[in-house]
Amino acid sequence: MSQTIQIPNICEFMTRHFVDVFETMLSMKTQMVTQAGLPQFEDRVTGSVAFAGEHVNGAVYLHFGTVFAGQVAAAMLGLEPADLGEAEVNDVVGEVTNMLTGGLKSWLCDSGAECAVSTPAIIRGSSFVIEPVPDVLREWLVFDCQQNRVIVEIHVKVG
Amino acid sequence: MAIKILSVDDSRTIRLIVGKAFRPYDVTLLEAANGEEGLAVAAREKPELILLDVTMPVMDGVTMLTKLKEDPALKAIPVIMLTAESGRENVLQIARLGVRDYLVKPFKEDQLLEKAGRCVSLQKRPVATPA
Repeated sequence: MSQTIQIPNICEFMTRHFVDVFETMLSMKTQMVTQAGLPQFEDRVTGSVAFAGEHVNGAVYLHFGTVFAGQVAAAMLGLEPADLGEAEVNDVVGEVTNMLTGGLKSWLCDSGAECAVSTPAIIRGSSFVIEPVPDVLREWLVFDCQQNRVIVEIHVKVG
Repeated sequence: MAIKILSVDDSRTIRLIVGKAFRPYDVTLLEAANGEEGLAVAAREKPELILLDVTMPVMDGVTMLTKLKEDPALKAIPVIMLTAESGRENVLQIARLGVRDYLVKPFKEDQLLEKAGRCVSLQKRPVATPA
C-alpha cells in the first residue's frame, strides 16, 4: 500500500473535492475556513457514507444547518426551498455526501487501498455528536458557503 | 417520436437532475431505483439509451449491466454509467463490461447532454402553439 495515505493527504484531497462538488453541482463557491471553531448548528441535517477495505476504513459525515440544507437542495434541483419536503432535502444531502465519499474512495483506491462504500444515510437532530470508535482518527474541515458553514467530518483508520 | 431514455439510480436527486437536463428535448424519461427495476423497465420499454448508476441497493449497476449484456434483446442498448467513483480500477472494470461511455459525479448538465447526444439524436421538444 502507498505511504501517502495519511490524514493530511486525505484532508487535502477532500478540501479540493468539496470545492469541486459544490461548484459543479450547485454553482456555489466555497472556501475552507482555517482556524475556525466548530460551528454550532441549532438544527442539523447530516449525510453519512462509510467506506471499508483491507487497509482502510472509516466514514464521511457532511453537516449542514437545516435551513441551508434546504437551500442546497433547491439549488441542486432547480426548485424553490419552499417546494421541497424533508425527503427531497435528505436525498440531496445523501447524494452530495455520496459524491464526496465516492471521490475519496477513488483517491484511496488509486493510492493502493481498495475499499467499497456504503449507500448514504441521513441523521437529523439538534444536539448530537458522532464519536469515532477507538483507533479511528477524526478530522473536521469547515467551509464557508454563502455565509453558511458546512462541516466535513472524516473518520478514518489506516492499516 | 420521443426518444426513450432510462435513468437507473437509487438517488431521486440524480433522477430529477437527469430529468431537468433532458426537459428541453423530445425525450421520454423512464426511471428505476435499482438494477432489478431497471432490467424490468428496459425489457418492457426498450429504451434507446440507459443512464446507469453503479452503487445501488437490491441490484447494483455492474450486475444490471452484466445481465443486460447477456440478454440478446437488450444487449445493443447503449449504456452510460454515472458513477461517483473515478478510480482507475473502477473505470477499467466498467469499460470491460462494454459501456458506451461513463460520467463521473459531480457532473454538469452539459456534459450529460454531450455524452447522451453521442448515443442518440437529441431533438428540441416542439414548442406548443396556442390553438
